[in-house]
Amino acid sequence: MAGLVFTAMLVACGSPEPTPYSPAEPDHFAKILYPEDNPTTEEGLALGRRLFFDPILSADSTISCSSCHLPERAFSDGRRVSVGINGRPGTRNAPGLANVGYLHRTLFWDGRADNLENQAIHPVGNPNEMGGSWELALDRLQRHPDYRERFRAAFGLSRAEAIQRDHVGKALAQFQRALISGNSKYDRVQMGRASFTEAEALGEAIFFDFADDPTGPYAALPTGECAHCHTPPHFTNQQFANNGLEEARALTDFTDRGRGMVSGTPFDFGRFRTPPLRNVALTAPYMHDGRFQTLEEVIAHYNRGGHYAENKSPNVVPLGLDSTEAAALVAFLTTLTDSAFLNNQSFHSPF
Amino acid sequence: MKYAALFALLLVMFFAGCDDDDPVAGAVDFTIDFRADFGGDPLAISSETYNYPTGADLKVLLFQYYISDLELIPADGSGAVQLTDIDMIRWQSATENSVTSRTYEVPAGEYSGIRFGLGVSPDLNAREPSDFAADFVLNENEFWNANARYVFAKIEANADLETDGTFDTALTYHMGSDALYTTVTFDQDFTVDGEGDPALTIVADVLAAMSDGTDTFDISDPDQQRVHGGNQAVAQDIWNRLAAQFVLEVR
Repeated sequence: MAGLVFTAMLVACGSPEPTPYSPAEPDHFAKILYPEDNPTTEEGLALGRRLFFDPILSADSTISCSSCHLPERAFSDGRRVSVGINGRPGTRNAPGLANVGYLHRTLFWDGRADNLENQAIHPVGNPNEMGGSWELALDRLQRHPDYRERFRAAFGLSRAEAIQRDHVGKALAQFQRALISGNSKYDRVQMGRASFTEAEALGEAIFFDFADDPTGPYAALPTGECAHCHTPPHFTNQQFANNGLEEARALTDFTDRGRGMVSGTPFDFGRFRTPPLRNVALTAPYMHDGRFQTLEEVIAHYNRGGHYAENKSPNVVPLGLDSTEAAALVAFLTTLTDSAFLNNQSFHSPF
Repeated sequence: MKYAALFALLLVMFFAGCDDDDPVAGAVDFTIDFRADFGGDPLAISSETYNYPTGADLKVLLFQYYISDLELIPADGSGAVQLTDIDMIRWQSATENSVTSRTYEVPAGEYSGIRFGLGVSPDLNAREPSDFAADFVLNENEFWNANARYVFAKIEANADLETDGTFDTALTYHMGSDALYTTVTFDQDFTVDGEGDPALTIVADVLAAMSDGTDTFDISDPDQQRVHGGNQAVAQDIWNRLAAQFVLEVR
């Protein structure tokens, strides 16, 4: 009797059918916030991985998520802007996805998606990305025997017709939340398991403005002002800023209005979400429009202090870095590369 | 009949097993507003041009501060009622209202005041962000190096020093250290009973933090345009004025 009651309680409270799965997380990260309606499961993660690498969602079955998010490039694509179906160029650079599951505020350069589940739905109907429709994508998935079984296992869907785009978004979100990068040299130094080279240590001091301490050993250095926005451990504050890429005497002069397209206010024109810097040495080219080919170009931009606009972040100012200091900053940024993350085969294509 | 009894038992256990929210007896919801001003007018991030006492014009892009141990002080001398141990009050977008509100569950009763610590209390300031949930206020990425810990308050603006219509002088005042932590107390009698409660608004004026009418922070001095981390002494008087200028409005 007691067993029956206990079982009944579990059923009543929603005991899940799939197998719960929690990927290991570094101790120095605040834990991932898993949405109540989409906990990661082994079945959901496996489904999401297949969907991520399968071009089945695109109109002509040529473009998958992995077309623009390649594991060997820390899930970026090496292009100035993404290229979608029929070679159509997009409008913005594909960001890397390392630790994207930790970004609990907004996603996309302009923050138009509130979470990974919602983000994953966008590319299917975008004419510059997958160029298709959810009607077509769902029809394919519902008729696909393997996917039907996988959706049943992941979400308990007893009928093929029950597969909806929200399930696709949830599965893709589960896979992306597993893309955890926390074993770079930077991390190992923080844990006392490695040491920076002289150049990396100099770069760290510039990145984190150690020169602000007038009595410290770096007092004579310039400050890089980087960590105001690129705050560890994920090297983003998840906020929006105009980092001075374009001169705009009037706010309407911006060629890409960025956050302003979402918020509706011209004071957000030219502002974009601060990108995380994990594995940044592999995610070139840089900025929302991929205008900089190298980290050296990025640092040269910030060293000049950016172009004028009244809403330019006050943290973007001329830095006064010499060539040694600029190179040190690049050396430090390269310590954010995590080879264990890049080589993790469970993040690569299952096909 | 046997099955009906079993069903009833399961139903009771279902609700008992899934619902653990018990209201606090005698408690009522009580809202406190936080308003940001500039020179007595509601602060408008980015969109408004403000005159600075030295003749410059300003556009304020960010104003934020942490508060710790926000407490109501009971009139009967009993222990303070803590409303929150830590919170961040922030204005950073032209789309935001100058008033942001927080609602707390408060014991009904007579109170003689309200107080909070401006900044992050020393015990929390010693903790790592990874100790907390990713969406907790101490994970707002307002954290710098281990010496200075959390950034207690920020004022960021672009200034037009020459009044030529170009806001090309960046001002960033990032303040915070255990030494700066300051308790702000308002003596104010009020009653909370859930009916006709007073509307309390804690007002912070950005201009009052920069200038008290007699002493004005010189934003034209290049050495006083950026305060980050180790050079806190430069902004000491901004912090002192910020801590001293809070006003409690009661309606």
